[in-house]
Amino acid sequence: MHLTDEDIVRSISAHSPEGIEALYDRYGALAHTVALRILSDHGAAEDVVQESFLSVWRRASTFEAGRGSLRSWICTIVRNRAIDRLRGDRNRTRLDSPIESQPTEPAISDPWAAVAIELSGEAVRKALAGLPSEQRQTIELAYYGGYSQSEIATAMEVPLGTVKGRVRIALDKLRGALADLQESPWQTQ
Amino acid sequence: MADAMSCEQSADLIALDAVGALDVDERDALDRHVATCATCRPLVAQYADVVSMLPAALQPVSPPARLRRRLMAEVYGEATGATHLPWWRRLVAAIPSNRALTAAGALAVAAAVALAIWGMSERHGSPAPIAYTVSGTTAQPSVTGSLTVGTGGTQSVLTVHGLAVLPADEVYEVWLVPPHGSGSPKGVAFLSPDPSGGAWTAVVNGSLAGYQTIAATNEPSGGSPGPTGTEVLSGQLGES
Repeated sequence: MHLTDEDIVRSISAHSPEGIEALYDRYGALAHTVALRILSDHGAAEDVVQESFLSVWRRASTFEAGRGSLRSWICTIVRNRAIDRLRGDRNRTRLDSPIESQPTEPAISDPWAAVAIELSGEAVRKALAGLPSEQRQTIELAYYGGYSQSEIATAMEVPLGTVKGRVRIALDKLRGALADLQESPWQTQ
Repeated sequence: MADAMSCEQSADLIALDAVGALDVDERDALDRHVATCATCRPLVAQYADVVSMLPAALQPVSPPARLRRRLMAEVYGEATGATHLPWWRRLVAAIPSNRALTAAGALAVAAAVALAIWGMSERHGSPAPIAYTVSGTTAQPSVTGSLTVGTGGTQSVLTVHGLAVLPADEVYEVWLVPPHGSGSPKGVAFLSPDPSGGAWTAVVNGSLAGYQTIAATNEPSGGSPGPTGTEVLSGQLGES
């Protein structure tokens, strides 16, 4: 049976483990991809994904639909935890075995989400490629690098106002370019 | 406290917040404005949803099967109330089943924990970023710049001044160069000019470990598998 995101939220709110299972099957690969992109460390990325989904399990009632979709909620939790870890892990010692030696799940266990991602990936890449490079770099530094606006302004040697402008203009352009996608993929309603 | 923020200012900050770049000192003012502004409140969800599309551009990386097992074991354990295991049982349970815990491994775990605790006790706020100097070659001697390594060491920003404008069919490609005899230069980014005529910048993703030099050459549009053009700048890594 296909569950909508609302079904999943209801299930988790009712403290049903099956809800977390469905959530992981739908967004686990997305979460892992985000964490790995930020941390470049398989063991650390796994830890962050596990911690993130456990935090969802423990406080699903804090999800507010008005502040974004379930997908964006998960992305924000994973991204913030990964950035926190990035900031605190300069002395990290790698203990994990090589990823190649480990059995893996299919990239996306939920077939609905898999189709959606395949469709949306190309569109998002195209939309990002359509941004001026300085806007794209600003977004990348902030989202994946954990830079604050002040740090970006310092690193790119531009005024704070320029950073603000670049982020907002870039997001407005992406919003326009991806308007159709936001209605469906990664958010299988 | 009165809300002195305009919707225009608020929209800038909501966008910054969506990508996680909002400075802490602007958070309270933004929250106060959004709490009372029906125009700006929907923007929070709209920008958040746009940003959550960004990872779709990445190649999905399959999580290992053990991650799902580990997660669901914890969830089912909590659901059935089996949460009061001794700390050492929980530690052992967290070790993946395909990873043997030898005596040496246990010592390594203990050493890593000790190091992490020592590291945490040594830290006071974010560590200072590392910056390497880059300079122009004889081809473009007036070039100056720096490579700033971000927190965590997995992302750096190369900022360069004084580069000559290139023909439309050429780019400046950035290379990480390993020590002599230990591999080939790796193309990692392209330098982009600031539209206002200021610095050229490039974001270098990944660790700099194992590389000795950063350099840039002019290459055909789209880049090259290896450096083919004139080297216009370089900098030694490891001498900040």
